Amino acid sequence: MRANSLWFRLIASSAGMAIILLATAAFLLNAIFQQALERNFDQRLRASLDGILAAIELGPDGKPQLQTPLADTRFSLPLSGWYWQISAADSYNKLAASPSLLEEQLTPPETALSIRDKDGVAAFAMPDIQGTHLRVIEQNVKLFGGQKEYAFLVAGNFDELKAEISSFNNTLMAVLAALGLALLAALLFQVRFALKPLVDMQHQLNDIRSGKGELLADNFPREIQPVADELNLLVESNFEIIERARMQVGNLAHALKTPISVLTNEASGSKNPLAGKVQEQLGVMRDQINLYLDRARRAARAQAIGASTEVEPVLQSLARTLQRINSQRNLSIKVEAPPNLRFRGERQDLEEMVGNLMDNGCKWAKSSILVKAMPTTSDEGRTWLLITVEDDGPGIPPEKRASALKRGERLDESKPGSGLGMSIIAETASMYSGLLSLDQSGQGGLKANLKLPMVA
Amino acid sequence: MRILVVEDDKDLNRQLVQALQDGGYVVDKAHDGEEGHFLGDTEPYDAIILDLGLPVLDGVSVLEKWRRAGKKTPVLILTARDRWSDKVAGFDAGADDYVTKPFHMEEILARVRALVRRAAGHASSELTCGPVALDTANTKVTVNGKAIKLTSLEFRLLAYLMHHNGKVVSRTELVEHLYDQDFDRDSNTVEVFVGRLRKKLGVDVLQTIRGMGYSMSETGHAG
Repeated sequence: MRANSLWFRLIASSAGMAIILLATAAFLLNAIFQQALERNFDQRLRASLDGILAAIELGPDGKPQLQTPLADTRFSLPLSGWYWQISAADSYNKLAASPSLLEEQLTPPETALSIRDKDGVAAFAMPDIQGTHLRVIEQNVKLFGGQKEYAFLVAGNFDELKAEISSFNNTLMAVLAALGLALLAALLFQVRFALKPLVDMQHQLNDIRSGKGELLADNFPREIQPVADELNLLVESNFEIIERARMQVGNLAHALKTPISVLTNEASGSKNPLAGKVQEQLGVMRDQINLYLDRARRAARAQAIGASTEVEPVLQSLARTLQRINSQRNLSIKVEAPPNLRFRGERQDLEEMVGNLMDNGCKWAKSSILVKAMPTTSDEGRTWLLITVEDDGPGIPPEKRASALKRGERLDESKPGSGLGMSIIAETASMYSGLLSLDQSGQGGLKANLKLPMVA
Repeated sequence: MRILVVEDDKDLNRQLVQALQDGGYVVDKAHDGEEGHFLGDTEPYDAIILDLGLPVLDGVSVLEKWRRAGKKTPVLILTARDRWSDKVAGFDAGADDYVTKPFHMEEILARVRALVRRAAGHASSELTCGPVALDTANTKVTVNGKAIKLTSLEFRLLAYLMHHNGKVVSRTELVEHLYDQDFDRDSNTVEVFVGRLRKKLGVDVLQTIRGMGYSMSETGHAG
């Protein structure tokens, strides 16, 4: 996915936001859990401190002494991380301590002692000599019958909770990761869903360009319907411009035909060399006009998809017309076409293609031409409309048939024609993805096969 | 033979009229559909050249109106529209021939000759009546193989009678087909021309049918 896309922008911004939020949540949850653990731990330390306070007495030497040992054996194990210590509150010299502390002394950092709760208890973390993380509470207490203040300090091994914390953290991470993935999936779906109208619009525009559709739909979301409406106006005005240009080319070409006739007639009456030149150039102009008229017609065809034409009436009317054009020649023009056979395309195109083929057949035929229309199935299994035009004239030898279909080729200059006929038929047919091929007729002359799309 | 040319382009109209006159026809002209329709409807033409893109009333409508009114005059459509749909529409409206612009004048002349001939029921371009032969293609007249010279009016007179070989042609009909619409129609002049034509032909193929008109026939010629 390219960086410069709406898709990327939406995914990247939402994913970035989600990551920040999830990380913050992870941090906060971890802190809350740690705090809860510490408070709970501190409670246990307070219980131990209360036990010590209950069992302490001033000894004969004036030093505090524990009368009965504590039940918790962890205070006896050396450097277990569980300690208690009593020292003078002002000097912090160790006066008595748990056996686990050995000869060591715990000296809390001064900043930790400045924050105390309403009972005068300070709670803080510090390492012991071994680097074990300790959780410590400290309280200054005046012992019974004395004025001296002692600092009572109880420490517990906080590392024992490490496993619990890391297990919590693992669970937290797993849950958050799952949440993140779910968010991402939802995001992908959401973006796809939100962008779908744009994709639809692209497809519809594609269809318009390839002639499969005419306009964009009018059911786009409120935000992009104005764009669709504007595009429709653009498409329509584009069609109008093409149509106008096409009509103007047609009008221009037709309008030029009369002056060319006039000039041709004037020039043909004169033996002047200028007249010869004029005649020659008029011939060029005539061909150019035919060429551009043909192109203008073709431009119009691009938008004429979806039309359908019944074949039989077209063949009959062409046969009728050609019969009258050739009324002196006693030609037999036979049409064999089943009713309800339909060509997928414009009536005029069918008329031009078949009309020119039939006209060509009439020019060369000795006595008869035969026009047949039938459905046919191609190798790929698609059904086509096949129109054949056969005559009993001289035909075209196989080696010359290919060049007969080329633009500007005229095999015989003795019959009138611009030399555009066959190639225009072939080009028009290929515009409908059809095909014109030439063959030998059973009647002896030429057989033209015109394969065109059919309405099934 | 009288021809009507309906064509809105002044130059082309003039050229057609000139070429047809040179070919031995009497020619009337119209420059729009309404005028063309009126002339074709009221005057007895032997053939009509009709443009399709006409002002006021288009060619196909003009043709349809003539055919609906029962006019059988052969009509040649001369147009820039060269699509098959236009040709089909033209012929279905009742045209007898169709030429697309640009065209060669010789082609128009040949087609008009063929139309006139066909309308009169002749197959060949050479019309004969006994020893008299008239070639419509090159406007030559021979008697027993020898060419004779005729004025254009005499030629038109002979051509009309030979096209209607064996039929009686009235004086009025002759006048209508030999002169254009502006001519002062005094049928007595026809008698003068018939007399001159008889003398030039030198053979007795042109009979006067008293009270009815004239008739060409090979019976009873003196040789």
